[in-house]
Amino acid sequence: MKLTAQSHGSVARNDTVACVFLYIVILLSFPGIISAAEADLKPGDTIGPQNWQSIEGMVGENLLNRVKGGYTIQIKPSKTYRPLKEYVEATERYSGKVALGPNGELLNYVAGQPFPKFDPSDPQIGQKLAWNFFYRWLGDDYKTGGAVKGGKIIRAAIEKDGSERRADLVSYFLFPSTRYSLNPKPAIPGYEHIDFMQLRVDSYPRDASGTTTLEIRYKDPGRADDLYIYLPSIRRIRRATTTQRCQTLAPSEFNLDDINSFNGKITDFNYKYLGDKKILANISQEHLPFARKPGDYLPLDEKWEVVDTHVLEVTPKDSSYCYPRKLLHLNKVTFDTHWTLMWDNKGAYWKEQFGFFTPVKLADGREVWSVGDVVIHNVQNGRTTIVTATRAYNQGYPASMFSLGTLQSIMRGGSIE
Amino acid sequence: MESTQRKLVSLVTAILATIVFGGPAAGQSVGGDDWETLFKEKVSFGGFVENTTGFSISHGSRFFNTSNRFIMNRFTVQPEFNFEFAEAFKLFLSWRFVAEPRYSAETKSREAAVQPAGTGGALPADFYSEYKGVPWEAVADILPTDRLHLRIGRQFISWGETDGQRLLDVINPQNLTFSPPAAVNLFSLEESRVPQWGIRMLYTVRPVSNTILELFANPGFENKKDRVDEFAPTNDISDGKADGDLRYGRWSAHPESRMPVARLLANPVGPVPVVVPAFKRDYPDAGDAWKIGGRITHSFGELNAGVGYIRGYNPQANDMVFKMKSAPTSCGPPACPPGGTLVRADLVNDQTNIFAAHFNYPLGDPLGIPIKSAMRGELAFYPNKPYNIGEFPGRNCNTGVATGLRAGPSCEHSDNVVEKHTVRYALGLDRSTFIPFLQDDPWRPFRMSLQIFQSIILDHEDGIRAFGHATKIERVSTLFTFRIGTGYLGDTILPDIFLGYDPAGYYTVNPAITYQPPWNEKIQLTLTSAIYGGHNKFGGLGLFSEKDSVFLKMRYQF
Repeated sequence: MKLTAQSHGSVARNDTVACVFLYIVILLSFPGIISAAEADLKPGDTIGPQNWQSIEGMVGENLLNRVKGGYTIQIKPSKTYRPLKEYVEATERYSGKVALGPNGELLNYVAGQPFPKFDPSDPQIGQKLAWNFFYRWLGDDYKTGGAVKGGKIIRAAIEKDGSERRADLVSYFLFPSTRYSLNPKPAIPGYEHIDFMQLRVDSYPRDASGTTTLEIRYKDPGRADDLYIYLPSIRRIRRATTTQRCQTLAPSEFNLDDINSFNGKITDFNYKYLGDKKILANISQEHLPFARKPGDYLPLDEKWEVVDTHVLEVTPKDSSYCYPRKLLHLNKVTFDTHWTLMWDNKGAYWKEQFGFFTPVKLADGREVWSVGDVVIHNVQNGRTTIVTATRAYNQGYPASMFSLGTLQSIMRGGSIE
Repeated sequence: MESTQRKLVSLVTAILATIVFGGPAAGQSVGGDDWETLFKEKVSFGGFVENTTGFSISHGSRFFNTSNRFIMNRFTVQPEFNFEFAEAFKLFLSWRFVAEPRYSAETKSREAAVQPAGTGGALPADFYSEYKGVPWEAVADILPTDRLHLRIGRQFISWGETDGQRLLDVINPQNLTFSPPAAVNLFSLEESRVPQWGIRMLYTVRPVSNTILELFANPGFENKKDRVDEFAPTNDISDGKADGDLRYGRWSAHPESRMPVARLLANPVGPVPVVVPAFKRDYPDAGDAWKIGGRITHSFGELNAGVGYIRGYNPQANDMVFKMKSAPTSCGPPACPPGGTLVRADLVNDQTNIFAAHFNYPLGDPLGIPIKSAMRGELAFYPNKPYNIGEFPGRNCNTGVATGLRAGPSCEHSDNVVEKHTVRYALGLDRSTFIPFLQDDPWRPFRMSLQIFQSIILDHEDGIRAFGHATKIERVSTLFTFRIGTGYLGDTILPDIFLGYDPAGYYTVNPAITYQPPWNEKIQLTLTSAIYGGHNKFGGLGLFSEKDSVFLKMRYQF
């Protein structure tokens, strides 16, 4: 058949339509491919009710609804952090021998990122990413609230009607068996079996002040965390079981496993890698805490940036667990989470949590990142908890601080440093 | 050792001197910017203001009518200061100011109960008030090393694992005069504990296993009433002097229970079988009220346990005994009815040895059973603990013939006191459990606590009796307690119930509901009640069966 000019044009149009159709199919089939919306976002853009579609899938559903309802988001340039040199060196030194056991436990791990190289087609990639998240760089120790003016975590519990209650606390973490910068390295002798120890001290309001918890996480997947609580109202140290990890830490909307986005024992869950995704986050928070209207949790003076993440689906091995499904959006460089989404056992959307990050300096002047403000919103009851939790790293806390001796010496309103 | 001590003393002195004489640079005036910075950065302030109001709801009390059921209006202010001068040196100071009036219902009760009749008028107007300039707590925390912690000053030292009742928590005495017994939802142990001057040392020998050595010493410098439990006794006798030692009050057992005490001690001399006891509280002398002790704790895997020892004056009111000071004598009006008998005795306690132990252990899923509870326990061994003893029924010690009275003085123990080895222990189980259909937040747990307390007298004798009401002290005495609490609406409503049950047939119920408004974390309102009962009102918690009351507690924290 001889092609006429008219028929050439028809053929060309048909080809174009086919290409566009194919492009759309590919776009919808492969989540790793940048969407047209993501590619369109650039610094200076403002997202609001008129163009909320451009960030659909990049923020939690509830925040998206707030944007539809009038909240605006401004886009700023993305910040890039570089892993700490010591952490990279430890990864290079130790990661070669790391492997997964039959129950998902980590074998031969010493320090650093367990699996710096991973293949998306690896059936165990989910588990590996989960361990990369667990052993992401968090310093050798840190004080949450240490880099906030006042040196404390400020927590606001916001009711659905906008009522607010404030609480102050401070928390200390020690990672005695994965140390990169402070001697002894890589582990404090005698503590090789402990992943982390946390001390949390409430300091306001007065009746709660002095309430102190000591939590110890063991490497042994079969050993539950130890949890001791000092109650100043009866001057007793109480032993608590940590098997009820789903219990709400009222009046906040967090439970034990929501701390640091995901605080469960890695081997108690199954993991599925859902691909990579660009999301909106803020990893260079400027104002601590961010400005907001009283009774609301939306940041008013912060801009957002596009961040590359791995999306990890977490499902429990115990069917009675509170979150049958949890999605973590892990920063590809730092492996911190920016967005955490949770569903209940009826499949209904339950909570969404976003965490801002901010640059902080180590004692030697090097810049690292820290969590800034963290917001968890319960979509079902309308309550929100905001925590300003910026960290001071590598303070050199002695292991002896994380013992029952500290709990026995707490005073109301006092510090333990 | 001596050099280290000198260095320590020098360090403390230097720090104190720096604080007192340092601070602002020379040339700057006190009250200037440096002081303001110092206070902003180093000093934190907190505390609370509280008012507790109570009404009696008992029926059948002859001392109440609807117009005078008011039994508490207690106003407390407690400011607290933290001074964090350095990592190794901190100060904590608090004051407690209490204003509480006397009550007409209490006065009527005293008029009927205190002997001789008519001498039990109103308590002093400031009996329940506390206005001391001396700080309530005043401690200096010194950390010479990261493992060594010293606390010096007026403080609380609390051992033990129990809730609501004390077993090892006997280092500091308690003020039991202003609070109904066992009403933990009204006034916690912390609010009734009395601070004492002392020094406490904690040394973490091995942190990873929580191996901690603790030593303490309380010299007993307090005024005599603060060296021991202050309580509202069943019996009071006026010796005609206004010495303020008469304490029969609103939380005393009802007066009918006092009569058997008299018969416990006296073989009536006169023809009338009415005996009036005349006793005084024998407070420890300043040189006798000291206490020392130590313990070591360690974690054996998941088990945390410790052993310890306390030596010193036993402050516990329930451990006091009557020691008969002289033979009974005849007496008449006004002290006694005509032909009665007077018995003189001292209410005493003594130096005590306590061998202590405690443990706690998390029970997860042993053998696949989801117990998911924390188990705890404590034990105290009292060698040669004193008890009152008498003859039941009473008998003439010379002839052996029964006197016809219900009781009489012991023929073998002239001071009516016998010493027996005693073991006290408590076991507790704490559990958080979800009961979704009872909750607005299905993941807000109910916290439950079950405890058993037992006291076991080794080589028991039948004549051993409680001094207050002469009911028999069994070889094994038992008390169960159960507590359950939770929160609703984001922990703005917090119900809690504490139950106590003695299998001998007595009980107490202490329910409470607390409201914390969602718009202000400083305000707290608690409605609670203290209910007592039993198969009779002459023993155990039944002694307070006419003391059922409700309270409203309003607290503002700052």
